[in-house]
Amino acid sequence: MGGDNAPGEIVAGARRAAEELGIAVVLVGPPEQIGDTGGLDVLPASEVIAMDDDPASSVRRKKDSSLVRAAEAVRDGKALAMVSAGNTGAAMASALLRMGRLKGVVRPAIATPIPQLGSHPAVLLDAGANAECTPAMLVQFAQMGAAYSSARYGVEEPTVALLSIGEEKSKGTPLVKETHELLESAAHVRFVGNVEGRDLLRAPADVLVTDGFTGNVALKTLEGSLRFFMDALLEVFASDEEAKAAAEVMLPRLAPLAAEFDPDGIGGAALLGVDGVCVISHGSSNATAIVSALRVAHDVAAAGLVDRVAQAVSPL
Amino acid sequence: MPAETHVEKGPLGRPEVFELIRDQLADILEIEPGSISESSSFAEDLDADSLALIELVEGLEEELGERTVGFRIEDEDLEDLRTVRDAVDYVVAKLGTA
Repeated sequence: MGGDNAPGEIVAGARRAAEELGIAVVLVGPPEQIGDTGGLDVLPASEVIAMDDDPASSVRRKKDSSLVRAAEAVRDGKALAMVSAGNTGAAMASALLRMGRLKGVVRPAIATPIPQLGSHPAVLLDAGANAECTPAMLVQFAQMGAAYSSARYGVEEPTVALLSIGEEKSKGTPLVKETHELLESAAHVRFVGNVEGRDLLRAPADVLVTDGFTGNVALKTLEGSLRFFMDALLEVFASDEEAKAAAEVMLPRLAPLAAEFDPDGIGGAALLGVDGVCVISHGSSNATAIVSALRVAHDVAAAGLVDRVAQAVSPL
Repeated sequence: MPAETHVEKGPLGRPEVFELIRDQLADILEIEPGSISESSSFAEDLDADSLALIELVEGLEEELGERTVGFRIEDEDLEDLRTVRDAVDYVVAKLGTA
């Protein structure tokens, strides 16, 4: 029930996922607000956590909210996974408090795909769950990210890089330098060294590790830059008759590239470290984004994501 | 007024309340119980964020709710709990034990 376009686009996406992908989707929320489900089951929840509600306290206060009920459905084995386009913090809090943390995991992290030219996406984490991190937490993020890369993209031995301001291990904040040291000998991690922000779209690794503050800034910068570039390109193509003629030739060739970098097709971010699958789609999700998120949630649940993460994480 | 206590489990004293909070915190933060003392600050010494504290609150309510009918930690009181000692004092007062 969350998100800027709920419930219309959410329900439309759920119906499309059921039809196109054959996924049994259960909608969670106030039945009178959900409207025509097209035959999909509804798990009633009388409350909704708003986008601006405080995440942690709202999960405690609104026990009959759609987010809390969805997390409980996963905990109780009634659903394989939950997907939300609502309040990100509250989605994380409800998953953490209702599904529980995996043993050994200090803090869950948000893993988001970063498109790569001609290859499967890299996984960036943490994309915003933990603004302040310790080196040991970042090592766990590396382990969880590698497990996700395997479950989501079938990478057998994912490589891991650490986001920094230079490739040399002597560069970066104390957090980055200490994390670099730990990653060199960490279990279940094929560490390939530091990576800089300019390399995010041509990443030399399957997993990109950073703290939640830096990760969120990097992600939003990337999204904004890509959007700006696309808009600027379209402006040039519309500038005169010659450009318009060129656009007729070029745009069909550019369309697949644009689709590859379209956030709606990427499928949301996964919350790793909780005892269940939780996929968080962006707040402005349309039906296509919801279809993508449901596909990802279904696929990683079927690939045993939670067990893979549990096995990959080394206790501190 | 002290909360009603179930007959099958006796009331907790202050040392037991500290042990309960210490053990739950150690489990949530994945640290050794021995590294937690009453003077430990949640934010500065233990790096416990707001979600970790909510985990603690929910864990305490579940554990103590089995012993004491209606035991609940109010959200608005959480801001005042800055150290483990604050939490122990709060729970002891709520339980009406000493």
